[in-house]
Amino acid sequence: MKAREVWRPVVITLFLLFMIVPVIATFIFSISTRWDRTIWPEGLTLDWWVAVTSHPAFLMTLKNSFIASFATMFCLLVLVTPTAYWMKLRVPQGKPIVELITSFSFGVPGVVLALALIRFYSKVPLPIINHPAILIAACMVLSLPFMYRPVVNALEAIDFRVLTEAAQSLGAGGWVILVRVIVPNILPGIISGCLLVFSTVFAEYTLTNLLVGTRFKTFPIYLVEFTRQDGRQASALAVISFVVAWVTSLLIIWVTSKGGRESTHVIGR
Amino acid sequence: MSVTTTSIRPAKKLAFAWTAWLGLLPFFFFGLAFEFLPLLTTIRSSLTSKGILTLEFYRQAMQPIFMRSFGNTFKISATTALLGMVLGTLVAYAIITTKNKFVQNALTALSDVTTNFGGAPLAFAFIVILGSTGIITLLLKQVGIHLYPSFRIYSISGLTIAYLYFQLPLMILLILPSLHGLKREWREAALNLGASTYQYWVRVALPILFPSLASGFLLLFANSFGAYATAWTLTGSDVDLITIRIAALIRGEVQLAPELADALSIISLLIMSACVIGYMLLSNRARKARA
Repeated sequence: MKAREVWRPVVITLFLLFMIVPVIATFIFSISTRWDRTIWPEGLTLDWWVAVTSHPAFLMTLKNSFIASFATMFCLLVLVTPTAYWMKLRVPQGKPIVELITSFSFGVPGVVLALALIRFYSKVPLPIINHPAILIAACMVLSLPFMYRPVVNALEAIDFRVLTEAAQSLGAGGWVILVRVIVPNILPGIISGCLLVFSTVFAEYTLTNLLVGTRFKTFPIYLVEFTRQDGRQASALAVISFVVAWVTSLLIIWVTSKGGRESTHVIGR
Repeated sequence: MSVTTTSIRPAKKLAFAWTAWLGLLPFFFFGLAFEFLPLLTTIRSSLTSKGILTLEFYRQAMQPIFMRSFGNTFKISATTALLGMVLGTLVAYAIITTKNKFVQNALTALSDVTTNFGGAPLAFAFIVILGSTGIITLLLKQVGIHLYPSFRIYSISGLTIAYLYFQLPLMILLILPSLHGLKREWREAALNLGASTYQYWVRVALPILFPSLASGFLLLFANSFGAYATAWTLTGSDVDLITIRIAALIRGEVQLAPELADALSIISLLIMSACVIGYMLLSNRARKARA
């Protein structure tokens, strides 16, 4: 190999090491008896996994994270899909406003969103402050672009106008057209949107911590508590988070590889 | 009879009508209720004291203690954005010039997966490898390099490394399309005209890539400017970032005028959204240039 060709494998190897070593190390740490004095773990054990998963709070926080993720996903689905379809079909002039609302969370730090929601809802007579409902609303704002983008891309990829007119000429009404004709045709977009929302909300820490704190403990809150108490048990929880994130992302890649792909990123972690 | 007439009648013309806007109302209502009204309340509250318009809280936000927090946030955002931009472009270039298609796709997928990592699990993983008894720390000790006490993972430099974990793949994803847009013929033409590889990069490739590089820098900057969870898990309140400070004010750990937290938030928001708007404008330019 020529000397000038050596840089490429070196760069790629270093990149791979940087991206993979933290994850692998956390996993090995979680199954080691001790790994803080020697190069290799002193022994292997599943004790930390057993200990951390047998706390009642483990299942409770996992359940809460699933509830938050699915509630956000469902609400966004109901809000975004009809809006995106209607906008494309009838009100293209509304696009700038819709996209301003959609990309709001890109320009607003999580702590600022939390602060603004607390300021406003502690003044209005709507008792959602400190309630999981305000968390769901905040998570919707945060993950709105992740639902909107894939759905709009999927709509642009099909001939929604012709499909709509065809369905209308057969006598179908608006909602029937949306649910029975449009949705099945943009399903890959909807699914990848849902998965992106799921992985965002499942890992969400900032908004949860500031808006509901310990009143509605989610999995990341539980994990942070453990990083301050017991590192080994925390490492098992971190591995679970990594696995959830990897599996969701791989599913997204798999779903989008079947349609047009669009990468979407969370910013401001 | 009526059935046949409806079925052969052409579909209703889907003309634009004012009433069509009504269909977007639920969405606009959502935006108002959970984005713009809360934001406007915060802006108003940061600008008023006992019902009188004032810049007092912005003046207070300029105190040295808060300027230090902004300074730290700027430092870490600029450092990780710059390192992320340079190293990300280097890795992205290595990826696209790799002949093996499998390696290319696998590395792109890896970037896709890892760029959305962050927060608590990531911070913890870095404690495991680079903490005072971390694995890399122990390995380096074996070969005679003592990281501690001059380096600490619970510090700004530690945080920089952790942030790079999501900044690097984000830059790779942002720059890949532009690198694909660099035509092989341009390089050949430059070399045929007697340019060196160095001249090709400095005089041809980098000017073409400039909008993409700059837009990538801005998005990475915003990404780390708004970050909170990773820093909070890794360092608690040891590292004085502006998001950490605002969060402490929200939780009421520090007793200060709530309007001061509002003013600090609005300043952060202006900086972050300026970066994101800059990113959008520049990346649109880069996209048009490619098309």
